Amino acid sequence: MARESASVALNERLSPYQKLYLLLIAGFILGPFIPLIIQSFAFKWAWPDLLPGTWWLEQREKSVLPLAWDYVISPYSQVWEATLNTVFIGCVVTLIALVICLPAARVLARENFRGKPAFEFFLSMPLIVPEAAIGIALLMIFINIGLAGTYIGIIIVHLIPTIPYMIRMLTAVYQGLGRDFEEQAMILGASRWQILRMVTLPMLLPGVVAGALFTFLVSTNIFLLTFFMGQGKIVTLPTLLFSKISGGTLDASAAGITLVVTMPGIILLLITERFIKEEAFGKGFGN
Amino acid sequence: MTAVQLKGVRKSFGTFTAISKIDLDIKSGELVALLGPSGCGKTTTLRMIAGLEIPTDGQILFDKKDVSETAVQKRNVGMVFQRYALFPHMTVEKNVLFGLKVRGTDKAEMAQRLEDILEVVQLQQFRHRFPAQLSGGQMQRVAIARTLITNPSVLMMDEPLANLDTKLRGEMRRFIRDLQQRLGITTIFVTHDQIEAMELADRVAVIFDGNLAQYAAPDALYQQPNSIEIADFMGATNVFEAAITGKSATTAFGALSFATKAADGPAHVMLRGEAIDLHLTEPSGVQNQMQGQVTAREFFGANITYSVDCKGVRIQVTEQSRRMVDVGQDVWLTIPPDRIWIIQK
Repeated sequence: MARESASVALNERLSPYQKLYLLLIAGFILGPFIPLIIQSFAFKWAWPDLLPGTWWLEQREKSVLPLAWDYVISPYSQVWEATLNTVFIGCVVTLIALVICLPAARVLARENFRGKPAFEFFLSMPLIVPEAAIGIALLMIFINIGLAGTYIGIIIVHLIPTIPYMIRMLTAVYQGLGRDFEEQAMILGASRWQILRMVTLPMLLPGVVAGALFTFLVSTNIFLLTFFMGQGKIVTLPTLLFSKISGGTLDASAAGITLVVTMPGIILLLITERFIKEEAFGKGFGN
Repeated sequence: MTAVQLKGVRKSFGTFTAISKIDLDIKSGELVALLGPSGCGKTTTLRMIAGLEIPTDGQILFDKKDVSETAVQKRNVGMVFQRYALFPHMTVEKNVLFGLKVRGTDKAEMAQRLEDILEVVQLQQFRHRFPAQLSGGQMQRVAIARTLITNPSVLMMDEPLANLDTKLRGEMRRFIRDLQQRLGITTIFVTHDQIEAMELADRVAVIFDGNLAQYAAPDALYQQPNSIEIADFMGATNVFEAAITGKSATTAFGALSFATKAADGPAHVMLRGEAIDLHLTEPSGVQNQMQGQVTAREFFGANITYSVDCKGVRIQVTEQSRRMVDVGQDVWLTIPPDRIWIIQK
């Protein structure tokens, strides 16, 4: 008992160095956002001022909203259209990836077959081959079969880099879920449907949620492939952002778009966090 | 209360034969261990009785009724897996109630049976915990409760004591024995550990390479193994070549007279280390004397094992640690004729 409370106290009390280290890491992650936020509320921010020379608040009579946000919400910016496209494509890609990867992961985790290591290596190829190579090759094919510039084309290319991640994550989850659990349920009298509903799916849920979240985030961040396949007809947040900053200007509206681009991920993370963190799941797979 | 019978059961997976042919009779209410080294087919046998595998040939009978093709769900058996397989997303209560819930038992009856079974396994205060918050012994009791609540006709366990530490082992052993005797439920368990098999079972079925090698009570298996492999597996240390003539066995260290029946010809004699007496002076009027010298001593607390060299043959003698005999001491060994076991070739 005494030893237990001592170890808890040790966990709660961090040394000054450990605190400093944590602060540095937090600064490293959050730091880049600070100039973005400041920029989005600036009216004029010229070199070499450390802070904007003129803030939006001082010039309120000229612009009702901060310049960045005024631009972002205006239809000219296409931000709204790009956000919808990004979220739509992300959701469809995630769903299709799940449907493809769940059965595949089950087999990879539980069965042994000839050439399995080679197959697993093959699965990670899309992560090794440069995106541009896949993109240009596929573009040539897709133009011929009329898939370039369509949602279907973009969704198909998004599946290429996301499936390897999804399969890996789900395989790990399936490995954690030994046959024991399903066999035990069977012996206790459960039908196949009851086993799926009461045992398999709830036990896979944390991994499925993590895999889906990851796939969605990867999909919403893909620029090059979307750019190739969209052919300027379909804008998503990354392509919009790149076209905005490609001229080299880093003004308030670019900062605004950048902040919008980070939104889907953060919102999704907040929603799904409770699934992944549930303590009862974290440990306890029977041992 | 169900008698289980295996009749000429064979099981192969593709070209690999897991079980060549097994005949086994388990009486109603008996506690039987399937013992063997890993990969011998004992787990496959258990899984066939449970219904998780279907035998390639032969029959499995419950109370003389063929259940070989009956689906797992309909077979009404219980199984406690080695790693318990508790559903990690359910509390103790929900885990225990699983079997009743999938059968659509009504709420009042479920509540009543839950109370009864939690009382039996003494887990009332842990009912709202998740498996991750339980110790190994508690998890095993939950697994047993979850199985027993469905009133299975046969209870099966896979290595029931393997995952527990020494102290808990004794506790769980008594718990399983008591429970099994109180409920009178036919119980079959699998183990690779001969001590676990002997301490728990009424009868032990030793399986080697997919064949039933011997099926007997633990003491018979220990004292009277029917082959040299079983003697070896049961931890026999003194097994020697001998030539049998009448009631005498001629060995490298002298002739021994014995009491059991044996045919003339070459055989093995087995002398259990604890059946041998060690004397510091030459005893008189005692049969089966062997003179030798202590060459090594191992101290195990309650017991001591001496290695004694008799005419170039090393014999191990185990006695309670009431005295210490020094290495190098000349000693005389004796063994009563009725404690000598002959393994025929």
